[in-house]
Amino acid sequence: MEEEDQQKVADLVKELVIRLVSPESHPPIPNSSDLQSSLRYAIRLLSSRLTPSVAPDAAAIAESTKRRLATEGKSSQALTFADLYTKFASKTGPGSVNNKWAVLYLLKIISEDRKNVNSQLDSSVLLPNLDFNDAELGNESRVLGVRGNKDKGWSNGVLLVSKDPENLREIAFREFVNLVKEENEVSEEALVRDVLYACQGIDGNYVKFDTNADGYVLSELIKVPRATRIMVRKLCELGWLFRKVKGYISESMDGFPSEDVGTIGQAFCAALQDELSDYYKLLAVLEAQAMNPIPLVSETASSGNYLSMRRLSVWFAEPMVKMRLMAVLVDKCRVLRGGAMAGAIHMHAQHGDPLVHEFMGRLLRRVCSPLFEMVRSWVLEGELEDVFAEFFIVGQPVKAESLWREGYMLHAGMLPSFISQSLAQRILRTGKSINFLRVCCEDRGWADAATEAAAAAGTTTRRWGLGYGETDALELLVDGAAKRVDKHLLNVIYNQYKFKEHCLAIKRYLLLGQGDFVQYLMDIVGPELSEPANTISSFQLAGLLETAIRSSNAQYDDRDILDRLKVKMMPHETGDRGWDVFSLEYDARVPLDTVFTESVMTKYLRIFNFLWKLRRVEHALIGAWKTMKPNCITSRSFMKLQNAVKLQLLSTLRRCQVLWDEMNHFVSNFQYYIMFEVLEVSWSNFLNEMEVAKDLDDLLAAHEKYLHSIVEKSLLGERSQTLYNSLFALFDLILKFRSHADRLSEGINELQARTMESSVPSRDKSKTKKRVNDKSSEPGSWISDGRKALTQRAGEFLRNMGQDLDAVAKEYSSLLEDFISKLPMQQHVDLKFLLFRLDFTEFYSQLRPSK
Amino acid sequence: MPREIITLQVGQCGNQIGMEFWKQLCLEHGISKDGILEDFATQGGDRKDVFFYQADDQHYIPRALLIDLEPRVINGIQNSEYRNLYNHENIFVSDHGGGAGNNWASGYDQGKGVEEAIMDMIDREADGSDSLEGFVLCHSIAGGTGSGMGSYLLETLNDRYSKKLVQTYSVFPNQMETSDVVVQPYNSLLTLKRLTLNADCVVVLDNTALNRIAVERLHLTNPTFAQTNSLVSTVMSASTTTLRYPGYMNNDLVGLLASLIPTPRCHFLMTGYTPLTVERQANVIRKTTVLDVMRRLLQTKNIMVSSYARTKEASQAKYISILNIIQGEVDPTQVHESLQRIRERKLVNFIEWGPASIQVALSRKSPYVQTAHRVSGLMLASHTSIRHLFSKCLSQYSLLRKKQAFLDNYRKFPMFAENDLSEFDESRDILESLVDEYKACESPDYIKWGMEDPDHILTGEGSAAGTVDPKLAV
Repeated sequence: MEEEDQQKVADLVKELVIRLVSPESHPPIPNSSDLQSSLRYAIRLLSSRLTPSVAPDAAAIAESTKRRLATEGKSSQALTFADLYTKFASKTGPGSVNNKWAVLYLLKIISEDRKNVNSQLDSSVLLPNLDFNDAELGNESRVLGVRGNKDKGWSNGVLLVSKDPENLREIAFREFVNLVKEENEVSEEALVRDVLYACQGIDGNYVKFDTNADGYVLSELIKVPRATRIMVRKLCELGWLFRKVKGYISESMDGFPSEDVGTIGQAFCAALQDELSDYYKLLAVLEAQAMNPIPLVSETASSGNYLSMRRLSVWFAEPMVKMRLMAVLVDKCRVLRGGAMAGAIHMHAQHGDPLVHEFMGRLLRRVCSPLFEMVRSWVLEGELEDVFAEFFIVGQPVKAESLWREGYMLHAGMLPSFISQSLAQRILRTGKSINFLRVCCEDRGWADAATEAAAAAGTTTRRWGLGYGETDALELLVDGAAKRVDKHLLNVIYNQYKFKEHCLAIKRYLLLGQGDFVQYLMDIVGPELSEPANTISSFQLAGLLETAIRSSNAQYDDRDILDRLKVKMMPHETGDRGWDVFSLEYDARVPLDTVFTESVMTKYLRIFNFLWKLRRVEHALIGAWKTMKPNCITSRSFMKLQNAVKLQLLSTLRRCQVLWDEMNHFVSNFQYYIMFEVLEVSWSNFLNEMEVAKDLDDLLAAHEKYLHSIVEKSLLGERSQTLYNSLFALFDLILKFRSHADRLSEGINELQARTMESSVPSRDKSKTKKRVNDKSSEPGSWISDGRKALTQRAGEFLRNMGQDLDAVAKEYSSLLEDFISKLPMQQHVDLKFLLFRLDFTEFYSQLRPSK
Repeated sequence: MPREIITLQVGQCGNQIGMEFWKQLCLEHGISKDGILEDFATQGGDRKDVFFYQADDQHYIPRALLIDLEPRVINGIQNSEYRNLYNHENIFVSDHGGGAGNNWASGYDQGKGVEEAIMDMIDREADGSDSLEGFVLCHSIAGGTGSGMGSYLLETLNDRYSKKLVQTYSVFPNQMETSDVVVQPYNSLLTLKRLTLNADCVVVLDNTALNRIAVERLHLTNPTFAQTNSLVSTVMSASTTTLRYPGYMNNDLVGLLASLIPTPRCHFLMTGYTPLTVERQANVIRKTTVLDVMRRLLQTKNIMVSSYARTKEASQAKYISILNIIQGEVDPTQVHESLQRIRERKLVNFIEWGPASIQVALSRKSPYVQTAHRVSGLMLASHTSIRHLFSKCLSQYSLLRKKQAFLDNYRKFPMFAENDLSEFDESRDILESLVDEYKACESPDYIKWGMEDPDHILTGEGSAAGTVDPKLAV
């Protein structure tokens, strides 16, 4: 047996040498010297112990070949190679090649040989019959193809050794094929074609779209095995997906522009369309392959490019993934538009699979470009180029004063998630600033700032220069533009519109900082305001305001500022006095009314009313001091009065003075508190914040904080409502006290005059009488009918006054006690300062335990 | 409608300090010696029309009356660089030019004689103002013209302008050196009666303390009148800053004084000023913060009234009220911190019968006057220890009166004619009751003071122990 084998090998070698060496045209001449030497050389080679330096691993070689093909971009060849190798490797048993590795290695060497043909000795000289010029297919496949074509009668091929017509397997296969044919009414080729059609959204002969099942199905009437049916169904998912995507695209494109598709929707469709055209290419190739007949199962090993259902499912793997993604996106995006669409796609791009990630990225770059263009033109030009309402910033027509606050809004739904909230805010603010400058400030300088910003940001500012994924560049652009535009805006606000000056003016006039002005105003409008509110003419008050301005230092203020100061009469009810409805207002005008909005001015108005009341109370107290003209009263000697009356006078006066002192202490310390702890501190904080404010929003916030702190600390806040009420009760009581004090001093003056006159009774009698009659409320009056009656009346008057004052004092101390006890309970820390001032000498805290 | 204030400078001393005061005001408001606004004085915010008015040619003219019975000082003013500042119609020098001879009675009597002429001038000034707030009188209480004529003017003003405020800057004599005016105690006593009864507020400028401050604080070995007067003008101008630089509060005299004087008769104010400098003196520049200034203002050594109180009495002395006027660039938050610090350290004793606190007014500093320090402060305070100054006056008077010395000079005049010296007694009684009231203020029972003994009061006689004479207490 061995000898026979040996002989067989020797024969085979000889055969090979003859075939390779001898030119095709000439019959081989055995025993020629060339042939003989070649044969000897071949035998020597074979019998030598030379082995390749690589490990004999068939799979490894196949793998490396496949990889090389793949890296060279010949993916379809790689696929084919892999297919072929699998078939080759799976062949075992009799008639198959045993040393598979050796075969592969040989083929590889030859292939490499061919590639290095230029640098090496031309092997064709030695082996002319080996055809190296086959360019159609790879070496391996050709050689393997030779092997696969054994049925076609290449009886003298090197691999004929494996042929075994009597093979049992062949027979079994044949039987199987027949069986299959019996089972299938339709051939697989037809089904494959139908599937391919279906995948282009076209109904085939057998596979048709069934609306009930919502998919492509193989007609029930056709008899195919269940497995095939399922297979078809599975493969046709692609068709279903395609149909969906395609449907969406055509629906969107047809609808445009009448329907609300929007630029981003269009971009999305275009991107999908591009993806589909790739898909079409694949289908075209597949369709071409589908033309090749499917070999019988037994023949598969030898067949080339044909398509079976199984192959199709392999081919469809990747497009299926993409198509699924697209279908998902289409589903998601069907109801979405603009930024929301981009955002939705972005959510899908967050995927670990690099394929998906890359696919989505490609799609997003297309989809987002209109969006980014919108951002660019918004940030640099303030233009809202958003015909289809897709941008995450929406504008609405508003009055100039509310342009900043309400003119433009972030549309959260349209904000794609790859733009962070803070970046969106910055984007919004920048464009808003530009628009604010343009509309409210009538400023043109922003264009320079924007140009500068564009230059600084560099290339990304070209139209369509920004794309998805370049969030950093976007941020850079936005920040650059924001910084410059905001700076410009603040400059305009500060310098051209004199924001600081107006704030100061408001502080001076509405917050009563300009003391002399306030004093004159109170002096001259005071009598007017004591009238019922409905009888007061605001026109006249405006005249008085003008007088107060002209006679105080306010006259030196900017005319523009003074013109904005106006009298405002609040709506009044019956019974209201002028005091209740009078206030001042400041007309901020565009663009500053963005800061000083109506609600802000309402707050100022409340503060004004409070401070005005405080001032009025102070004014009243000082007026009382002045009418008491303390020395006048006490310096006159009341020699002619009885001692008891004198004592009464003394005690009443002192009670009045001490009470006055206590009230004055309260009011003036409250004033000091308002001035130092509230107004000045808030103001200096505000100034500091104004310094560091970077944009209008900062400025607004700073102003808001300033106003809020004043409101809170002046007890005008919600939390100090009860305290505020007690305070006003105190104020009203003080005003009441003033009338008592005035009455007292008036009475004493009368008394004084009377005692003086009692020696000369007839003088000025009529005058005195008139005066007395004016005070009809007075319980009796001292008509000079004798010393005794005078004394009696004086005593009575003083007793009444004393009682009145006692009542006021009692009420005052209980109200004050109430107020002071509430102070520490306030959460606001600054109110502690108020308590500290009021109780500086611990007068009240020492008083309280004893109570 | 500024709250105008008319200044009356009476007598030698009054005119001297008055002149210093106007000099200082001119500097602070950027008004030249001729009354013309300087070119650099463009910064607004100050109010000149309280103390000045503008003539037709835009000259600023002080609302001031210069009154003296002898021509020396006024002539000096008229020959000085400031001669064109004043309205010459407002200068009154008596025809004879003989002065008052340091005699209160002479000054008072001559005042009566020229009342009409002077009141005409005052009326004219008052008519020229929109809403006259009051008068400021500058004088000394020891001499003849300032004390006597000043007293007469006080009474007249009180009568004629009873609704207007009268504030005085009264210079008290130097007790440390023997005065050439031997009748000083008489003059002082008689003037103090009018200051107590007819003025609304008296800013006490104690020459003794001013000299002491000049020596101790400014290190001048022999301070001249000019130097002490510059201290006075500093105080006077500082005490009017809130009127001249309007702010949130204390923009008028009545508002300023009302809170300072809760007890009507205790209207004698002490002053303190820091940091002090005198012209042409290279002073050490100290760091000045609000706390520093406020703390220093509470130190006795900076107070411009001498304290004659014994230690025990001094410890019982109490502040009735305090107003600190802080000038300069001040962070308002510092005020609160300073107040807290002062309360923690218990640096100040207040009355116990009512609430009280240190009032702080922030005021602007003139941009035209350069100072080396950032912050300066003036304290105006009503303090009970001032009674010791009056007690001192009383005891000096008693010494002199016991000897019946120098009374003849007074008997020459109608008030004391026929040996009627009841004016002296009445003045003494009033001053004594003032001292008692201040003393009563130190006790927590001030409110009931003077009433705790009805029997005693019903008798109508004061006890010999010097407690209240109810007749005078009212």
